[in-house]
Amino acid sequence: MRRYETIFIVRPNVGEDEIEAITSKTSSIIEGDGGTIIRINNWGLKKLAYLIKKESQGHYVYVDFAGIPASVAEIERIFRIDDRILKYLTVKLSDSCDPEAVKEQLASAEPEATSDEKEAVKEQPDSAEPEATSDEKEAVKEQPASAEPEASSDEKDTGINESDNVEEEKAD
Amino acid sequence: MAPKKRIFPRQKICRFCADKSLVIDYKEVRTLRNFVTERGKIIPQRIYGNCARHQRKLTDAIKKARQIALMPYSGPTQL
Repeated sequence: MRRYETIFIVRPNVGEDEIEAITSKTSSIIEGDGGTIIRINNWGLKKLAYLIKKESQGHYVYVDFAGIPASVAEIERIFRIDDRILKYLTVKLSDSCDPEAVKEQLASAEPEATSDEKEAVKEQPDSAEPEATSDEKEAVKEQPASAEPEASSDEKDTGINESDNVEEEKAD
Repeated sequence: MAPKKRIFPRQKICRFCADKSLVIDYKEVRTLRNFVTERGKIIPQRIYGNCARHQRKLTDAIKKARQIALMPYSGPTQL
């Protein structure tokens, strides 16, 4: 048995019960091949970092399981056929896995982990966006006439800023 | 002519080696966000001084996060 985790994104206009149906179908495939589900998390509706099939949001579902390669292939085949699924990603976590031991381990660490995840989801929308944009504007205002083509381009990481400072110092 | 100013780079230490509780995971976007620019490019290890091993894991994680739309390939990182 190998341990895998799969994340799939479902279209935002799909109802909870349909997502439930997709999830149970997935788990039945895994269990049909002799695998075990370790945990299933529904991360809920999240904003996507880029458009996928013209959707800007999606329901994320996370499935952690022990199974065989053939069941991964089958799950992914079904995901590709299903129109409601925007994207999926399967990652192999380990080559050998004892599902019972993993479950026990998770059960002891469970309460913390789940609360952390929920916080992460909640805090995302109001994260430091206003700060970042205002910083950018300030930076642009401060050096309007200085001949730095790099500074105006989108790559303004610390490395460039450092080298700019050095040049200025030399000029003095 | 002004004397040449030598810049003494601070001793940089790998954040992940210093703080073992920080894990690199493609699902934990909040950690990964510290290591990309505002436009989503991965910041090279010479800037933050990550060790080679952790930088490698970090880039892997960021690329996975991009695949599943948790992070952008390009564009604003803050959602």
